[in-house]
Amino acid sequence: MSASQKIAGINEDYTEKYGFHDPEDYFLKAPKGINHEVVEMISRKKNEPEWMREMRHQALDIFFEKPMPTWGNSELLAEIDFDNIHYYIKPMGEQARDWDDVPENIKKTFDRLGIPEAEQKFLGGVTAQYESEVVYHSIREDLEKLGVLFMDMDSGLREHPEIVRKFFAKIIPTRDNKFSALNTAAWSGGSFIYVPKGVKVDIPLQAYFRINAENMGQFERTLIIADEGSSIHYIEGCTAPTYSSDSLHSAVVELVALKGAHIRYTTIQNWSTNVFNLVTKRAHAHEDAVVEWVDGNIGSKLTMKYPAIVLKGERAHGEVLSIAFAGHGQHQDAGAKMIHAAANTTSRIVSKSISKDDGRSSYRGLVKVVRGAHGCKTNVECDALLIGQHARSDTYPTMDVAEDDVRVEHEARVSKVAEEQLFYLQSRGLDQDKARMMIVNGFIEPFVKELPMEYAVELNRLIELEMEGSVG
Amino acid sequence: MADMTREATLADPRPALSGADLSELCDQLDQVETARQARRESLSRYAQAGFPDRVEHLWRFTNPEHLLPSDLAPTVLSGAGVKVTDLPAVPEASATVDLWAGRQPVVQIGEGQKKAELTIGPLDGSMAAGTVDEQDAPSALFRHLNSAAWNTGLQIDVAAGAVLSGPVVVRVHAQGPALLPRILFRAGGGAEATLVEQHVDGGSETHVIGRSDIVAGTGARVRHVVLQTWQDGTRGHLTVQSRAGRDADLLTVFATFGGERVKMELTADLQGEGARSRMIGVALGGENQRFDHHTRHRHLAGRTWSDIDFKSVGAGRSRSSYTGLIRIEENAPVSEAYQVNRNLLLSSQSRADAIPELEILNEDVSCSHGATVAPVDPDQLFYLESRGLGSDDALRLVVRGFLEKTLQSIPESLRPGFESLVEDRLGRLREDS
Repeated sequence: MSASQKIAGINEDYTEKYGFHDPEDYFLKAPKGINHEVVEMISRKKNEPEWMREMRHQALDIFFEKPMPTWGNSELLAEIDFDNIHYYIKPMGEQARDWDDVPENIKKTFDRLGIPEAEQKFLGGVTAQYESEVVYHSIREDLEKLGVLFMDMDSGLREHPEIVRKFFAKIIPTRDNKFSALNTAAWSGGSFIYVPKGVKVDIPLQAYFRINAENMGQFERTLIIADEGSSIHYIEGCTAPTYSSDSLHSAVVELVALKGAHIRYTTIQNWSTNVFNLVTKRAHAHEDAVVEWVDGNIGSKLTMKYPAIVLKGERAHGEVLSIAFAGHGQHQDAGAKMIHAAANTTSRIVSKSISKDDGRSSYRGLVKVVRGAHGCKTNVECDALLIGQHARSDTYPTMDVAEDDVRVEHEARVSKVAEEQLFYLQSRGLDQDKARMMIVNGFIEPFVKELPMEYAVELNRLIELEMEGSVG
Repeated sequence: MADMTREATLADPRPALSGADLSELCDQLDQVETARQARRESLSRYAQAGFPDRVEHLWRFTNPEHLLPSDLAPTVLSGAGVKVTDLPAVPEASATVDLWAGRQPVVQIGEGQKKAELTIGPLDGSMAAGTVDEQDAPSALFRHLNSAAWNTGLQIDVAAGAVLSGPVVVRVHAQGPALLPRILFRAGGGAEATLVEQHVDGGSETHVIGRSDIVAGTGARVRHVVLQTWQDGTRGHLTVQSRAGRDADLLTVFATFGGERVKMELTADLQGEGARSRMIGVALGGENQRFDHHTRHRHLAGRTWSDIDFKSVGAGRSRSSYTGLIRIEENAPVSEAYQVNRNLLLSSQSRADAIPELEILNEDVSCSHGATVAPVDPDQLFYLESRGLGSDDALRLVVRGFLEKTLQSIPESLRPGFESLVEDRLGRLREDS
């Protein structure tokens, strides 16, 4: 069987692998639409402290008041019907620490997605979020003994209010943008992680986010704090069933890497193509800290996501390594932001994108060097590959430099698969499909090699599927 | 859901302009009825155009209010009080033209130039096809303002197949409170011609809103040079709109040295198959100068090629901003486009911003851009000084080295004049750094 015969099209495979959905049998499902009553209900159900309840209400007012973003894709954004979304769905009564306690249909879902298997094999901890709530959560005992906190955000708020209050909405203020305000008003679930001083967590912690219901809005909230000299690798993955009407995923992720800490945050975003993925991610990197966003965007209808790192302390280093794949009907508007707010900080952004059929991928980035940040260095590289006559690629980088002893570099290239390379590989006996796949694999290699093995294999497989039958 | 649209509450700062103001200007410039009609249409577009939005990249770095004249009264537009002087023709030019606010162009044809090949005179103003303003562009306000109220206009037509004896040199004198020059340069099929615009004079009282249209016919070779050496304090907005027909070859060389607040927008539309456009630009800023450059290469046909190389050097407290767009349309296959912007900062107070943008709607392209912002390499200075050069000379040499490759790509015939301007400006920058 030739490569192109293997799979007829990505959507068929998606339906089989991730696009299935369970019957909707929920503990609690809020009516559609967002207003102060819904926000009040969420806060009451969660039995939250007063400051959080107030923050939610204020955030909702800010959400109403803020205009829609004017960048990205205004046309698609205008399609979001905020009144046709469920802002909160609680699938089951209590969170489980054992897969056996998870209701059968939900457990099956995660079995099909391979989560329990992955947990046994190579993870230090797992949270599995289904709709608005984390339904399962575990952490390896040895990590727990070292004082590593890894739980869902709601439990974090309950059990460690002093830490949460100190950092919550401090990295990404509620007012940052319309969707960060919406998340602050309606947030539920997400991960809370604290790594104590000097503790190096050498195996990844993972969260898996699943949307099941139609017209669902998922607003998880994640906060990771790596204390001085510690290190952590966090991985998140996500999928949803394919419905004909749209769902909204709007997360807020805040990272704090204190002096000398190292955080790597890896995302493999594979939402179905009816999901709007509008996410705000930002990290603070203190003195000598390192923060890396490894960001893969394969799914969704429209993604607008620009992981940011504020380099606050001297010699902090930030990296964003991203790959975007935009197939039929998709727009991946992704990028990165680096704010050099301290001297001798360094950063690197590598962005790779593939646009296929009428897909569109855009790199939108900002590198800012504030006055007083001497001796900074930053390098941005964007590579775009176009496959198909109607594919589109955009590059919108911004550089804003207020210091003179700073080196800022930006480079971008856009091209189709080079004929010479194809010709060379075919002259060595590869058919055109295989030759093209090999070139694409080479193109995304810098990204894939940063992933844990299991993810790299999965990503390669995904890209291979997406590439099927793309011989032009 | 609450209404999320916010209404503009601030008063619109665009200067008032009325039909009556314009008719006086039209009388003074002896305009035909169709030209008057064209101005009236532009006037209503000016009144309706949105005020440039500072959220847009194009206006992020410059406040449009700083560039608009405060008063467009008839006496201002007619250039009352502007002193016109007799100036000698440029010796090697095929024609030398002087433009002043409110005056018809003063044209001196060079001796060696065949009359039949070069038609040059006041702008008709009926807005010949191909120079219609874009409606929705972020800078539409400035375009419509010039179309409505240009107060000195020049039209140059180079006959098909003609090869001009020398460049057409146009000296645009920034005098009086408001100069709105408009130049239409058309080169017929296969023609070879060079237009040199020298933007001179100026001062803290002067605002310039300029517009030049370059139309290169099939297979024409057009060189367009814009040298801006305004006096301190001048504020100006210059628009260059070029169109290249089938297999036409365009070169635009621009130098921005003078003025206090300057915004320049250059667009080359590659309309015909096989059209080519190269832009080469140099900006040297010092003191409190603010330069804002925007270039656009739009590939509208197949097998088109474009390249832009823009370099800026900043001393003092100057700021250079650059936004550049390459757009390749879906029906423009087998196109190539390149863009480089490099910024050298000589002082700790100078700033540079760069936004190079790509919009590629066709797969069969080769496209790249690069941008850098960097200080003078102290190792280079140290090396030169250790070889006995004074620190001034060492710095000059480093800056020359930074600009060298760009200067070398300027055609031989244009280079000496350009280089001496650069040297002159550098000399003054050094005192400033």
